[in-house]
Amino acid sequence: MRKKLAVVAVVAAGAWFLPYGLDSYAIHVANVILIFAVLAIGLGLCMGVAGQVNLAQVAFFGVGAYATAILTTKAGLGFWVAAVLAIAATVAVGLVVGTPALRVQSHYLGIVTLGLALAFTNWVTNAQVSGGAEGISSIPGPALPGVDLDSEYLYYYLELIVFALALAFGLFLVRTRLGRRMRAMRDDSLAAGALGAEVPQLRMAAFLLASVYGGVGGVLYAGLIRYVAPESFGIANMFLLLGMVIIGGRQSLIGCVVGAVGLALVREGLVDHPTVAQVAYGAVVVLVVVFAPTGLAGLPARVRAALARRRQRQGAAARLGPFQPYPAAGSRSSGRPMLDVSGVTMQFRGLRALDEVSLTVSEGEIRGIVGPNGSGKTTLFNVVSGLYRPTAGHVRFRGQDMTGSRPYRLARAGMSRTFQNLRLFGDLTVEENVLVALDRSPTLASWRYLLGPISILRQDRALRRQAGDLLDRYGLTEFAQSPPRSLPYGIQRRVEIARAVAAAPSLLLLDEPAAGLNGEEVRQLSEIVRSIRDSGITVIVIEHNMGLVMSLCERITVLAGGRVIAEGEPADVAATPAVIEAYLGDSMSTDDLPSVPEVTA
Amino acid sequence: MQVFLQTIVGGVSLGAVYALVALGFSLVYRTMGLVNFAHGNVVTVGAYLASTFYLSTRLPFALAMVVAIALTGVIGLVIERVLRPLENRDFDLMLIGTIGFGIVLDALIIMIWGATGRAVPSPVPSAPIELLGLRIRTYDLVVLAIAAVATVLLVLFLSRTKRGAAMQAVAMDHEAATAVGIHVGRSNAIAFMIGAGLAALAGGLVGPLLYVSPALGGALGIKGFAAAILGGFGSIPGAIVGGLAIGILDSFMAGHFQGYGELFTFLIFTVIIMVRPTGIFGERTVNRA
Amino acid sequence: MLRRRATAISVLTVLTAVLATGCSAPGSDSESSGDESGPIKIALVDAQSGQLSSLGAWELKGARLAIDEWNAQGGINGRQIELGVFDDQGDPTVGTNLARKIDSEGYIAMIGTAESAVTIAMAPILKQAEIPNITSGQSPGLVAVNSEFLFLNGPTSTTYDETLAKHIVDQQGIKSIAMISNNGGYGKGEHDAFLKALTSRGVTPVADQVVTTDQKDFSAVLTGIRQKNPKVIFLGAEEVESGLIVKQARDLGITATFAGAAPQGTPVFLDTAGAKNAEGTIVSSPYLSNDINDAAKKFAAAYQAKFNEEAELHGAKAYDGTQILLTALKSSNVAGGKELAEAIRATKYQGLLGDFAFDKTGVGIFVTSIGTIQNGKLVAAAS
Repeated sequence: MRKKLAVVAVVAAGAWFLPYGLDSYAIHVANVILIFAVLAIGLGLCMGVAGQVNLAQVAFFGVGAYATAILTTKAGLGFWVAAVLAIAATVAVGLVVGTPALRVQSHYLGIVTLGLALAFTNWVTNAQVSGGAEGISSIPGPALPGVDLDSEYLYYYLELIVFALALAFGLFLVRTRLGRRMRAMRDDSLAAGALGAEVPQLRMAAFLLASVYGGVGGVLYAGLIRYVAPESFGIANMFLLLGMVIIGGRQSLIGCVVGAVGLALVREGLVDHPTVAQVAYGAVVVLVVVFAPTGLAGLPARVRAALARRRQRQGAAARLGPFQPYPAAGSRSSGRPMLDVSGVTMQFRGLRALDEVSLTVSEGEIRGIVGPNGSGKTTLFNVVSGLYRPTAGHVRFRGQDMTGSRPYRLARAGMSRTFQNLRLFGDLTVEENVLVALDRSPTLASWRYLLGPISILRQDRALRRQAGDLLDRYGLTEFAQSPPRSLPYGIQRRVEIARAVAAAPSLLLLDEPAAGLNGEEVRQLSEIVRSIRDSGITVIVIEHNMGLVMSLCERITVLAGGRVIAEGEPADVAATPAVIEAYLGDSMSTDDLPSVPEVTA
Repeated sequence: MQVFLQTIVGGVSLGAVYALVALGFSLVYRTMGLVNFAHGNVVTVGAYLASTFYLSTRLPFALAMVVAIALTGVIGLVIERVLRPLENRDFDLMLIGTIGFGIVLDALIIMIWGATGRAVPSPVPSAPIELLGLRIRTYDLVVLAIAAVATVLLVLFLSRTKRGAAMQAVAMDHEAATAVGIHVGRSNAIAFMIGAGLAALAGGLVGPLLYVSPALGGALGIKGFAAAILGGFGSIPGAIVGGLAIGILDSFMAGHFQGYGELFTFLIFTVIIMVRPTGIFGERTVNRA
Repeated sequence: MLRRRATAISVLTVLTAVLATGCSAPGSDSESSGDESGPIKIALVDAQSGQLSSLGAWELKGARLAIDEWNAQGGINGRQIELGVFDDQGDPTVGTNLARKIDSEGYIAMIGTAESAVTIAMAPILKQAEIPNITSGQSPGLVAVNSEFLFLNGPTSTTYDETLAKHIVDQQGIKSIAMISNNGGYGKGEHDAFLKALTSRGVTPVADQVVTTDQKDFSAVLTGIRQKNPKVIFLGAEEVESGLIVKQARDLGITATFAGAAPQGTPVFLDTAGAKNAEGTIVSSPYLSNDINDAAKKFAAAYQAKFNEEAELHGAKAYDGTQILLTALKSSNVAGGKELAEAIRATKYQGLLGDFAFDKTGVGIFVTSIGTIQNGKLVAAAS
């Protein structure tokens, strides 16, 4: 930590004294580089942190610059007033450009944002107010009493301060609740939604942030260059910006800055051979993407991981602690229906995955859902948790009709789930995985970031304490700082359950929680699930391990071919002829056969 | 009315080229799930190769095209080999990786052929056909015919040959395809080779229509990609319909809004994608939770 | 969290300390242009890469030719002339960088650029640094910049199009004229200038269509024009796009004559359009061909000998501009800054494009000639 502090101090002092060693051209280059660094941070937040492909960052940059130019030269406003309005205009544009992200993702979003960026350059090339292809010249620069910002040396300090604030805010954001939620959405938007992260708002927030940084960059650009023209905001500069972010490492803001500075310097060095520079940075982008997807910023972590792996073989590995049961809540079974599914049908093209499925789960129950492969169990979970909107029928949750609600709404109403093939947030630590679920504050409350870091830090500290307690209860404390991918399968399963419970649900859906677990782990699982129920949470389990289902569940619903064919107490259900037939008809595999519960050791 | 019809004719002729570009995008995408953003630059390479053989070595146009398609196909194989580690992985990374490839190809084109470009005389010199006051260039008809033949051949290849069927299987489920013994890598390589060949076909055909320059493919690539998405990404008929649609849309917007044409083309495209993200022929992909 | 706060505090402390101790602003204002010995440094800024690099290459050749001639005769006041070549990539932002660069590296004057938008972006910085600049741009916007350090080595669009309108409307009596121009810097300047020339003659164009610089299909625009059946179609677009328009127009059965400024006289235009399609095109240019007079013949021969290719307009313009700059340097005794600008303004020069005499807007020549394309070659029109 002391080392980190020293590094920051040295870099800051270096940046502060830098102008003393630069001639008038070099300081100009430094000024341009700082602007690109601000833009790169914005792009990094949107693409790297929130995972929203954004090929319109250069258009945000352009809107900021053009708005400043138009407001100062045409409307006669002062630079600072124009700057504030320009950033507001950029945010408005950013929100418009971000809207498609609510509907489409990845490459679709790429082409849409790229198209909108082209539409912007097309507009400024044509419009009278933006000066057409010749652009707008003689933009008045900013004025500060006592400081001559016409001097590029002093302008450098203005930029440096803005840049430092932008970087600090970005880093703060990434490490606290909003950034954590955005990273979770990037890693797995389905799981993030199922934990109550408002995915649409988060996507808009990503574009909002990108546009603020783009607007700030544009304002600084207008004040520095005093001239705007369409070419400067074209596709070539967009790809250059993209190259900076990718080479530096998009998930790390520091990486984005390093990439921006590095690539700009290389480009400056090869200014007389732009084609060579182009080949070089294109090739580096390809190599980075193929061999080091985390970019330059990811290299130290990779090296450290490699070293750690070697060390771990000798040292003692982290251990999974025992689960500490919840203190039992008083009355557990009120008999009120927690979940009421009535007549739900789910049609995919030619396939009817669910056919008039109805079931009711009462509060405090542990319900098992079994059935042969392809019988529609997971589809039922997906309908209940809002991933699918059913073709027909209703889902009532705690007495309220929630049919087809967005997953995050259901999650906020008190429903939580795990997934058949584990959906942990891969690039977050175990602790952060839990924190995402623990954090129940609405994303809209993120405007508090404007009030300063204090209240956010306080809340974050409280959340971390809760996370510590929870990890302790599940015996996961030693893995708190590990990325989930590095953990054994059984532990990942437990992390996912801990995460689901962290969301403080009243109904917990577990989709094959025992898949891939060994006998001892299954026994622990059964203990954990019972204790969860005893703490007052209703549980529905999809499971193939019949031993577990028979011993754990109070009632069982059997699905086959998308229909409910039996429901009742475990022993009764196992004896139903229709059930036996369904299982035999599906396959002869005996694993799936409901049998008399055998004792799991 | 005449302006209306003539605008459609103009749009269809470029639309056929967009359709070929879109076809390449879609074929590669459906087979290996890779969005090849460098596709536009491959079009430029194809255009330069075809025009070089046609103009410099004085090969007949058809022969020059065949040579260019073959050579560009080889370039496609090279790109596929380099990007292979990205297949069926993070979409965004792939997208960026291929953008990087495009940047390199772009610079290489300038290094080899210079930045200025060249005009290619039409290989079909006969006068335009006059029909009810409409004038249709004979070369446009040639382009349309070739595009149609290429599509039919592609569909036949995919549905009637063993290799094509294997590619279809990979497109549906690459894991299952591996399990039944299909060489996924080879299937991908062939998809990429055909994709690059289609790009060369588009580039070679568009050369005499326009002007071969390093910027040629960038514009065609973006419009072609938009066409593929509009039609339904990964769908063969979608690519054709999407290509023609973008061509006609573009033509009308340019006629109606003059300099602002491009602005409106992209705005309309964005709205369509938001209303129907899966495009005209697209299949709604099921999220497996 | 504590850690971050500690970091912030420590950074602040460092910064305050720095502020307290080193309060003097950085940046030494050492002007290095007053160098009295060594070669005279002249900068040439142009697109040497990208779409417009052919213009840049031609300019470089014209300027190089002029400088080599002077150096062969012993330079100026015994000092050799050194040409520094910079690539602006056709991007105004890169241009502004380069303006600062040539200032900090002590260049005394600048030749270029060929793209008005880049020159306009650079002009305020060059004005502040007092570096005279002779550009090849022709946009009226260059005059609007109002810098006493900016000079044009050719006529503005106003002159080109006034001459053209005079020829078409006044001499040939054609009033049925359509216009197609692009929304780029060049196209917009041409559009405004030609429209003004027409309006002053009481002629309204039958159609006034705007296209984008990268448009490929003009069928909608051209079909609209065809219905108006104009006699002449004015082109306000660069070589390649004009060529495409002409080609597509002929395919649509439009038989009207085309007219335009310098780009419509170039081989690139002829190649793109096809010589047959471009036949009869009326061109307004200050430099119709290499054998228009003895000076042009001599220049063309020297150009051919040095670069092994045929000279053309842009090379000739740069050659003229460089000659004027060097003459002014000699007459002002290698002064820099304001003095050099005044010397350029005072220079009267008989060049390839005509007789230069600069006015206070920095334009030195106000005539162009009319030529037509006949049998695939640009020849002077019989007047």
